[in-house]
Amino acid sequence: MESYSLGIEKLDENINGIRTGSNIMIIGPPMSGKETIVNNIVYNGLNEGEAAVIVTTREPGESVVDWFSYNNLEIPIEHLGIVDCVTKTLGVPTSDTATIRRASSPVDLTGIGVKISQFLEDFWMKQNIQKTRLCINSLSTILMYSNIQTVFRFLHVFTGRVKASGALGIYVVEDGMHDEQAIATLKQLFDGVIEIRQESDIHYIRTTGMSQKPSDWYEYTIEGAKIVLKG
Amino acid sequence: MAQTGIPKLDEYLNGGIPKGKSLIYFNHPGVEGDVFGMQTLHHNLAKGVTCVYVTSSSNPETMKDQFSEFGWDIHQFDDKLIIIDAYSPLIGDLSNENYVVSDPESIDSMTEMMNRAMKEVPKGSIIMVGSLSTIMDLCGEENTLNAVKMWNKMALVRDHAIIYNFTAWPYEENTLNSMKDNIFNCVISVGGIAERVIFGQYFGVLKADWSEIEARSMLFRVLRPGGIKIYIPKILVTGPFNAGKSSLIHSLSTRAVSVDRLGTTIALDHGHIDHQGFSADIFGTPGQERFDPIIKMISGEAMGIFLVVDSTLPKDFVRAKQMLDITKGYGLPYIIVANKQDLPGALSVDEIRRHFNIPEDVPIIPTIATSKEGIFEAFEVLVEKITGGN
Ligand SMILES: Nc1nc2c(ncn2[C@@H]2O[C@H](COP(=O)(O)OP(=O)(O)O)[C@@H](O)[C@H]2O)c(=O)[nH]1
Ligand SMILES: [Mg+2]
Repeated sequence: MESYSLGIEKLDENINGIRTGSNIMIIGPPMSGKETIVNNIVYNGLNEGEAAVIVTTREPGESVVDWFSYNNLEIPIEHLGIVDCVTKTLGVPTSDTATIRRASSPVDLTGIGVKISQFLEDFWMKQNIQKTRLCINSLSTILMYSNIQTVFRFLHVFTGRVKASGALGIYVVEDGMHDEQAIATLKQLFDGVIEIRQESDIHYIRTTGMSQKPSDWYEYTIEGAKIVLKG
Repeated sequence: MAQTGIPKLDEYLNGGIPKGKSLIYFNHPGVEGDVFGMQTLHHNLAKGVTCVYVTSSSNPETMKDQFSEFGWDIHQFDDKLIIIDAYSPLIGDLSNENYVVSDPESIDSMTEMMNRAMKEVPKGSIIMVGSLSTIMDLCGEENTLNAVKMWNKMALVRDHAIIYNFTAWPYEENTLNSMKDNIFNCVISVGGIAERVIFGQYFGVLKADWSEIEARSMLFRVLRPGGIKIYIPKILVTGPFNAGKSSLIHSLSTRAVSVDRLGTTIALDHGHIDHQGFSADIFGTPGQERFDPIIKMISGEAMGIFLVVDSTLPKDFVRAKQMLDITKGYGLPYIIVANKQDLPGALSVDEIRRHFNIPEDVPIIPTIATSKEGIFEAFEVLVEKITGGN
């Protein structure tokens, strides 16, 4: 059966394949390397011949692309699509590129949605790639500008699209920024969670909902572009 | 009467949007519905109409810049374009606009600016709400609908046409239904044909209380530059050998290729045309009888047919009719292209009609494919048959 892997060995062993059409939340405290984890998940997919769409709300599209080249990670750029929600809010005149399409702001959910759909269509119809990873980094920024019901409706539509197209959805959430209620509301939309916690400067990661039982907590460090699990 | 500037839509609306009426572009998420509003705004600014634009999800300058990807420069209309800024205060920015919604999360604050602007601009202006869904997200569904009813009344009093862009996120069933049924004079639905992904987009008139015209749903594409064009995925060009099919396709097309798919024996022609708000892909069939099975194969899902004949060769007309049958042409809209009108002995349109013994309403268009004479007229006539109206 077709499935996805994260590219993080110990976690993948426990999951044994993520079902196509799954939607997964990554939640963790600030500065815990969530970005690196997301980029690794994207890189792993691109390496396996899949496509990826990254919605970036915190840094311009160009920085996302640069991360891969800066870390000497070669990617098939024509399989990567970036929805940039940042650049246009900075007031610098820019235009779209083949890789980067820009929404007018993180409030502009309509525009973000259109651009995600366009990339999904391009990959499926024009490039004939049937597996795509959609990463929204991060939901927390979107939640700064729109209320929880609004974001829920938006996600309701796009988790549905992920399901219908057999893609893999990854949604980043900052721990500690939102109330319990909001997190619980969002969780209804997800099939699994990658949880990150921090205890006195040490970070731990585990997955829940993606296999029979939650995985163990693994201590990890970020080394360059790599995430290294111990134990 | 204000026009929408969307090809075909103004025809369906019996000319456009009458003064005082409201129209909503009711867009499914992920579909490029916001371009409809932009095209309407640009179209009217270019005609010198004063337009008020409510921006809720981007700052005014970014909003204006967005038009440029379609080849529309709206900065030149700054004196006719009045902005109500409902975005800057939301993100804590200062605004340079005269109309600023002090609290975009308060519907009263929205209404205050709407009323002021609608009073102060000349009667008969266009009022465009850039994102009604964003307002609804910020102010709540019921509050927003109640306010919209007031705005529509205010527009009516001041003879403005009021136009909304709306993304139909999964709001309350009641909210969506009342929006489709009874809040607006006109509802244009913009949707996607989705299977695993959205791979086609269409629009249709759900309601227009001033127009009796029966509208069909139209596929569209968004060209950059160019904006919204009606899209016809497949027009077939058929007819006997040597009638001028390849010449027609090449003369019509902005880009055309002859593909030798089956060795050197036949070449399948394929062209693409963008003309007067329409975008179409055109496919040629071979003419010789031995290829009839192939014609069947490539005629699936065609939306219309050009039957090309050499006007000097009535002996080929029987074959032409036979080809029309093969392409199931009698069910589809088709026209006859009476080609090679420049040659001596070319029959007139009336003579050809007699030979063919076809109904009066099947158009026959005289052409000279090699010099492009009559061919765009032929295209327009066929497109009119495909896109109908009544
Ligand atoms: N005089 C004249 N010649 C034409 C016209 N249209 C096509 N031809 C010529 O007729 C021949 C056959 O045309 P072609 O397009 O290849 O026909 P097809 O077999 O139907 O594809 C070519 O030599 C063309 O140059 C026309 O309107 N007038
Ligand atoms: Mg030919």
